[in-house]
Amino acid sequence: MTKPNNFAVLKPTPSSASLQYDPMTVSRFLGTMSPWTLFAIFAVLLIWPTIASAQSGEAVRPFNALWRWMPFLITKGFLFNVLISFLCLVIGTGAGVVLGLGQISQRRFIRAVSWLITQLFRNSPWLVILFIVMLALPYEMTIFGEVYYYPAWIKAVLGLSLPVMANISEIVRGAIRSVPNTQWEASEALAFTRNQTLWRIILPQCFKRMIPPWMNWYAILTMATPLVSILGVDDVVNLTRQAIVAENNRPELLMPFFGFVLILFFAYCYPIARLTLRLERKFAVKL
Amino acid sequence: MNKFITGATVAAMLMSTTAAFAEQCSNTTWDKIAEREKIVVGVKADTRPWGFRGQNGDIIGMEADMAQQVADTLGVELELVAVESSNRMQFLEGGRIDLMIATMSDRPDRREIVGVVGPNYYSAGTNAMTPKALKVTKWADLKDRPVCGKQGSFYNKSVEERYGAEVIAFVSNAEALQALRDKKCVAWVYDDSSIAAELASGQYDDFEMPLTSEDPNPWGIAVPIAERDCTFGRFMSGMQYNWHQSGELIRLEEKWGIQATEYLAMQNKRFADWLAE
Repeated sequence: MTKPNNFAVLKPTPSSASLQYDPMTVSRFLGTMSPWTLFAIFAVLLIWPTIASAQSGEAVRPFNALWRWMPFLITKGFLFNVLISFLCLVIGTGAGVVLGLGQISQRRFIRAVSWLITQLFRNSPWLVILFIVMLALPYEMTIFGEVYYYPAWIKAVLGLSLPVMANISEIVRGAIRSVPNTQWEASEALAFTRNQTLWRIILPQCFKRMIPPWMNWYAILTMATPLVSILGVDDVVNLTRQAIVAENNRPELLMPFFGFVLILFFAYCYPIARLTLRLERKFAVKL
Repeated sequence: MNKFITGATVAAMLMSTTAAFAEQCSNTTWDKIAEREKIVVGVKADTRPWGFRGQNGDIIGMEADMAQQVADTLGVELELVAVESSNRMQFLEGGRIDLMIATMSDRPDRREIVGVVGPNYYSAGTNAMTPKALKVTKWADLKDRPVCGKQGSFYNKSVEERYGAEVIAFVSNAEALQALRDKKCVAWVYDDSSIAAELASGQYDDFEMPLTSEDPNPWGIAVPIAERDCTFGRFMSGMQYNWHQSGELIRLEEKWGIQATEYLAMQNKRFADWLAE
């Protein structure tokens, strides 16, 4: 991103960075929204069907239906999306850290393989990766003669973890590279081994820097979880669709129901984005 | 060279014996159901009244009832998995579900992928719901006009090929119907029994079903293709035969408020027990 830093201190982010690639776009976009946005969306949702069906005098009906389905949509649907996103983050972070450290390995082979895996999953469409994982893996697995069956959503978790892993890998690599090279040289002069340098000097500095982009990816990941509905996993979007069918397919339900899903995701991701931006400001190096 | 030919012959013979063994029944799925004492049935969750969500989130409907009867007959537990038109065959192929009862029209190309067993339990034709104002009277009126449909339906293709309509396929019927109301398309192509149900609901008073139903197409229950001619397939044939003979399907049709179809009455007569009074 920037030229290699030759000084022994961390430079602040340049203020003229607006045209540069910013991996935090999503959080910045979300986080800079006014807290009133949520209420604005809600108000529009409330008003829209009222206008649309003002003549028939049945403006409240969609909301009665939504009220009945709300507990089901939240507990069976949205919490499931949150669970998927959480598991993906855990798997993706674990694998991503290993891959990121692999990218700065001293062995050329490990470096090349890690780089390839990272680039492959970072630059492929999420949906394509999901499809491949869903279709390639079987629904049952035999371990030591015992047959285990696992549901489709576990495959979806694996599929979504892969792109997350690749992006976390880049975050780790980038954070380590952002520490001035001179620190490596200085610690070598002080007779630290490479491992000691990495774990005791470099990584502790990186950790703080990694938190904001890591949370940013969590927000992106959460917003991407409805992708699994295309593959037949019963997430909040699929269940919403089915709830509309159960309410006799009335088209005036589409806006309130999907609007409700929008509010759920917004209400969950917005605080994360705000916190991310706050941490980013807090951890930014001041001169 | 001679050695090569001998080797090739032996290899070919070996391969043919393996193929012959593969033809025999392994009854994998059947054994799996017995072993875990649970049958996993794929039904629709987005097609009222065949399969849809009840107020507490469970899948209910005519096909869910049929699945329950299959489980009861087998004496095992039932697990219902929601499938969609676009993924139901993949779910069966991949082993996610053991059995599929999901409003699937029985088509020759589908029989190559999944094991459809007779006698077919239901039949529906293709028709279209159009706004009365458009005065559509024949299928040819749809030529070069946008028509809404649902992803994974076989008639999307036939309507396009036969009548030159431009099909816009949606994931669910709610979205297709909304598009029809928004005048993004001139008709909604689907099966006639569902269209009749929508028209009867009273929300579509400005719409009609003016065309003659096309391709009356039986629906099929499917087992994994390897078990079509084995225990599981034969068992499901027996279930369907019995449903027709006892009039159970007609009773379920009534229970779920589906328009009585001639097909079921016909099959009930066809399979009648000749000794029964």
